This record gives sequence, C-alpha cells and structure tokens, in this order.
Amino acid sequence: MIINAEKCVGCGICIPYCPVGAIKLNNKKAHIELEECLECGTCGRDYIVKCPQNAIKESADVYERPRSIRKYFSDPMAYHVETKVPGRGTEEVKTNDVTGRVKKGEVGIGIEVGRPCLGTSYVEVEKITKALAGIGITYEEDNPITHLMEDPEKGTFIEEAKKSRVVSAIIEFTIPVSKMAKTLEVIKEVSKSIDTVFSLDLISRLESDGTIPVERELTKLGFEFRPNAKLNLGLGRPLKEE
Amino acid sequence: MTHSLHRRGTIENLKDDYVVLVTPAVGINHHDSKEKLKKILDKIFELGPNNIGSYETGTIYSGATIEQIKEQLSETPRVRCCFDDREKVRELVKYIKESGCGLSVTLSGLIDDVKGMASELDITPHSINLSLGSFGKTDKLPDYGVLEFVTMCGHGMISGNLVEKLIDDVKKGKKSIKKAAELIAQPCVCGIFNTKRAEQLLQKYIDNKL
Repeated sequence: MIINAEKCVGCGICIPYCPVGAIKLNNKKAHIELEECLECGTCGRDYIVKCPQNAIKESADVYERPRSIRKYFSDPMAYHVETKVPGRGTEEVKTNDVTGRVKKGEVGIGIEVGRPCLGTSYVEVEKITKALAGIGITYEEDNPITHLMEDPEKGTFIEEAKKSRVVSAIIEFTIPVSKMAKTLEVIKEVSKSIDTVFSLDLISRLESDGTIPVERELTKLGFEFRPNAKLNLGLGRPLKEE
Repeated sequence: MTHSLHRRGTIENLKDDYVVLVTPAVGINHHDSKEKLKKILDKIFELGPNNIGSYETGTIYSGATIEQIKEQLSETPRVRCCFDDREKVRELVKYIKESGCGLSVTLSGLIDDVKGMASELDITPHSINLSLGSFGKTDKLPDYGVLEFVTMCGHGMISGNLVEKLIDDVKKGKKSIKKAAELIAQPCVCGIFNTKRAEQLLQKYIDNKL
C-alpha cells in the first residue's frame, strides 16, 4: 500500500489501523514502510479507514511477484490463483464431512505461523517445514504455501518467498495418529528457534458419541486444548464416513 | 482458517459467542450452491445475527447490506456470520439441517455447548478443529486483554494498536462502548467479530477490572 504524499494532510487517522504498525507520521505526512507493510489492504478500504483525502492506494506492483506473495497471504479479500479459495488455508475442517481430508485414525495439523499479531517471514516458516521434513511430512497439496516450496521433501521455499513477510502462512498436513506424538514433539522443539509465533490446530474425527479419540494421548503428551473449538456438524452431502 | 477456534477468553465470556460457517466444497458440491446460500442468508437475517459479511462486501458494521452480500456471492461462495444468542444459532442449524441442502456447516463455540446443541437437534458432529495454543515468541504478543479482541477476527486484520486506542477513547469518554466495539469490528471483513462480546470486554475496562 502507498500513501499519496501530495494528498495526505497528516491527520493520522490511518495509523492505528495497521496490524503491524507500518504507517508512520513524518513531517506531518503519513508514510507506509514498504518492507514492514504486509499488503493486507485494510488501510486502503475506504469503508473502514475514512481517509479524508482518499490518499491510500494499492501500489502498482502488488499483484506481481514478489509483492503478490504478501498480498495473497495477507489480504483475505484476495483469492489465491492456485486454489480458487479465499483466505490463506484450505477448507480444512470446514468441509471435512464431504472431502474426507482427515479420516478416522488420522489427525490434521495446521500451524498458522505469524498469528496472532506478529506476522512472519518465510525464513521463519522454512525453519518449521525443514524440521518437519526430517520426519517425512507430506504437505497438503491444496494449501497455497505448498505452491511456494522449492523442494517439499526438504521443506525449502523459493527465494522470492523467503524475501516476503506476510500476516500468516499455514503449514498444513494430515498424518496417522501413530505419528502424532513425534510430530508434536518436533513442532514444540522448533518453536524455540523461531522469531515469531504460531497458533497450532489439530483436526480429529469425532466418535459417534462425540468423544475426541486423541484427547487422552494429547493430555499425556502435555498438550491442553482450548475449551472452544470449531466443529463440523456433519451436515454436508455426500457424507464421507470413513 | 477462520481462526475462530483460537478466540481467547474465559469460559464465562465465550459463552454467548458462536461463529457459523456454511462452506460448499470446491469441486464437490459448490456448483449449485449459490441459491441454497441465498436462502440461508435470508434465514440468518430473519433471525438477526450479531455480525455478517463477506470477502466481497465487508460487513454490516462497515455498511454492507443483505442484498449486497447475496448479489456478490462468488463462484466459490461461502457464508460466515456470528451470533450472540444460543437460541438463534440453534434455530439456524435446525433450519439448515431440515432444508437438506447438503452443505457443510461448522459451528465454533464452547465445545460442550456445541455438542449439547447438536444432541438436542439429533445431529452427530463429524470432526473437530482444536486449538492447542500459541508457541514461539509469545512474550512479543500484546496483553491478553487485547488478544481477547483481536483473535475475534478470522484473518488478523484487527490491529492491537486500534484496540488500545479505542479502549483509551472509551475510558476518556470520547467514544461510547457501543461505537468503540463497532469500530473495532470493521476491519474484520468476513464478519465473525462479535460486537456484543466486545462491548462486555470494554465494560471491564470501564469498571477498572483490567
């Protein structure tokens, strides 16, 4: 995003809206630090940030590599070219009743790097994917970050991606329950070496009585889950039972 | 990921906070889903959601209307909204089930409450997405009180600085609690930010409990 310095009157109305504090006021003019800006688009939405001069616009190169990487992984109003899915991940648990993405005896893992609040570079994302490569993880094909990988087996990313910062990038994959303990151990260990945060999701099928089959093992491994969660109610058709 | 599973808060203040997503699966049942979603949108508006929006229009708190949300449903359409009333959510889920539309529905909320509601409606939930928490440099995160607001946005669009400024404005009497909650809600373009819950959280600051 850029601010037209000739139009800007320095009122500062836009400044608190930036999720990463990239808008600064210099010499009574607001200015966006392009290296800090994640291209989420919030400041340019005139129905949210009511800039009196209409001075905030997208930069001309925002839909071209490498700037587009920031855009597609930060602005929920931008549709990913590869997946036709808006947002940053896949349909994950949202349509699991018809896709069968996570089956009985499996768990889905989502590592949303950069959330909450801090954002991330792909250098940090790569630290995690390289660590997971050591235990043979296969990444979700429909997740847009997989399309930025140089070598999915090694967990490495293309150079253009590694120069990019984004609001978040979701590392997503499905594994058998038998691999859950080792995988969570690797995730916990690599979290000590990253310079950002991640939010950790775990998708599980439910038993017919509502029991979470992996609850006991998660507790044994020292993982507590929040009392709130996202439940797929099983109303989608055709239903995937397996 | 809609992030609704990662909403911070206590069991008490998450009690009346529900996020409903209706999501056709791309390539499986999305082709004829627009008309079905329009009917569901009509039901949502009849019930009165706390918030609703879309990637195409923004939310009702930034001026979007039901007509705009319906007209601008995309080729891979989705419905997402937030309720602050258990009975309304229950009525909506019952309607979707009985419609037989066959679209996937996720409901985010307190796990035991959602399971209980499903049981009341003779629904067997299929899967669950659990939050195992945050890891890494968590010492860099804003105060927990700020996180309670910003994690109500599905995509990280709400700035911690905006929340802190509006809390300050409320404390100084520059903004009403209601207005501040609506302004915090606006950057969350998909419409899952719960303004009623935000008002309750802001009230804590006024009562000097934080």
